[in-house]
Amino acid sequence: MLTNIISISLGAILINNFIFSQFLGCCPFLGCSSKVETATGMGLAVVFVMGLASAICWVIDQYILVALHLEFLQTLAFILVIAALVQFVEMFLKKSVPSLYSALGIYLPLITTNCAVLGVVLLNVQNEYNFLESVVYGVTGGLGFMLAIVLFASVRERVEFSDYPECFEGFPICLVSAALLALAFMGFSGMQIFA
Amino acid sequence: MKKILKLTFILFLVCAITAGVLGLINEMTYDRIQEQKRIKTEKAYAAVLASDGYEETAFDKAAFPTIDKVNKCTNGAGYVVTTTFSGAQGRITMAVGVDNELLCTGISIISHAETSGLGANAASASEVGVNWRAQFVGEGEDVAITKAGGNIDALAGATITSRAIANATATAIAAVKSLG
Amino acid sequence: MNIKNQFKEGLITNNPVLVQLIGMCATMAITTTLFNGVGMGLSVLIILTCCNVVVSAIRKIIPNEIRLAIFVVIIAGFVTIVDLLLQAYIPALSAALGVFIPLIVVNCIIIGRAEAFCQKNTIGASFFDGIFQGLGYTVVLIIMCVVRELLGSGRFGGGLIDVANGFRLTMDGTGAGIQLFPADLGASILTLPFGGFLTLGVLIAVMQYALKKSAQKKQLAEKAEKEGEE
Repeated sequence: MLTNIISISLGAILINNFIFSQFLGCCPFLGCSSKVETATGMGLAVVFVMGLASAICWVIDQYILVALHLEFLQTLAFILVIAALVQFVEMFLKKSVPSLYSALGIYLPLITTNCAVLGVVLLNVQNEYNFLESVVYGVTGGLGFMLAIVLFASVRERVEFSDYPECFEGFPICLVSAALLALAFMGFSGMQIFA
Repeated sequence: MKKILKLTFILFLVCAITAGVLGLINEMTYDRIQEQKRIKTEKAYAAVLASDGYEETAFDKAAFPTIDKVNKCTNGAGYVVTTTFSGAQGRITMAVGVDNELLCTGISIISHAETSGLGANAASASEVGVNWRAQFVGEGEDVAITKAGGNIDALAGATITSRAIANATATAIAAVKSLG
Repeated sequence: MNIKNQFKEGLITNNPVLVQLIGMCATMAITTTLFNGVGMGLSVLIILTCCNVVVSAIRKIIPNEIRLAIFVVIIAGFVTIVDLLLQAYIPALSAALGVFIPLIVVNCIIIGRAEAFCQKNTIGASFFDGIFQGLGYTVVLIIMCVVRELLGSGRFGGGLIDVANGFRLTMDGTGAGIQLFPADLGASILTLPFGGFLTLGVLIAVMQYALKKSAQKKQLAEKAEKEGEE
């Protein structure tokens, strides 16, 4: 049981990193990574929402959709749950934890269209994870996203001061740097845990 | 307050209409999707060990939790075992053919979620995939990748997938062996 | 807004991936064989066109406050329909694209077009917008696939073109494609995630270069015209 959890966690953070090997959540990854600070904020918000969404969607999937043979409504139900969840989290944080809200607030609305969140929920279903595994996969997948975006932001801060062909200005040079980071993460792909 | 009720009602209506349409489409496609799944499984069975029919046989599920089904070939050629196990990304479902000498006659991957271009090659119809799967033919219960002392060369960049498939093949053969 | 203009916008000057820089996850993730690229592109095209038409048709009756929620429900509905149809009729494509089919729901192209275009335009214009933006997306996917497949494994048209049994298109993803040079000589790293980021980066850079050049040319021409008048 424990080894299973550890292997899911390491898999989600390093080996099958959401950004660098599964390409989930690329838009916010490229959009919110110009500064390490914003990247950290976005990362934290994603960890939070992905963990919560995994838990809630697992319950809804198991006790409503699967129980009533409505599996074909999964995509529709999950995206609505995520959208509503993000709204609730935003309202809740604003009222009760203003300090956290000021840190995460502006990133929360962006998360609804983050495909990493919907992706993790769908992968939980596909992998037939149980409740604990789903939550662990959600949280560690978010941590993997955060690791990727913070690393990438620190690279980008330096790239700004370097020389590159003019036509690579903006997104292209970011994608090339991301490619090199993906290459680094490929080093984990041969890694093996408790086999 | 009245406004909120109105908005909720409209949203509910849109959801209900969408769900209704989806239900209809699901009703229309459900049989065909099940049929496609069945064809896929049948093709996988035929690819690993040809037979005119397959008969499900009881096995010790407690000892082999990853094994889904053990099917005896009605022509006496051996067994086809279906097994579901964790790959690098998600679950892999695979059919393994085992002959009466307890040697593998082939493997065929029914479904998987491995990385495209890496682990997915194990299931692909391309030359790489076909050649890679061909390595399993004639292997016995001790089948393993070269890193673990066996004969199977792991797919480039997909050691985890390769190892998982080799281990699952070994388990499938062991399950057939346990039948006696 | 005429059709010719919309065509040019969708494919070049306002291309969803290369210029608007949206919908990149799938662009990088699934472009390893031509089969995947064409399949994904056409799926998005169909979903985008349907959503555009429906959103445009009901644009006057949906309340502004909950419009995004309604868009999302409509999009999720069409995505599920396409997902089910693919599972039933082209199961190989559904297996190859996996989780990226349901993830079209959060593809910013679709909700982006609904919000930016269909809300303000007629059904006809929205219909063509869907077709052309979808085509623009498909073209980029195809370019990505061709480049990555060719340089990565020396192949063209993997999964889609079958030459072994006469030249034909395969719908079940079994075609081996045309091997232009031995796979061993290819830079197989291009078919890995690294290649996805790199190819898209270079592609956008080329686009930026081309757009800049054409803008400069225009400026020069205008300048010359002015001088001529003087």
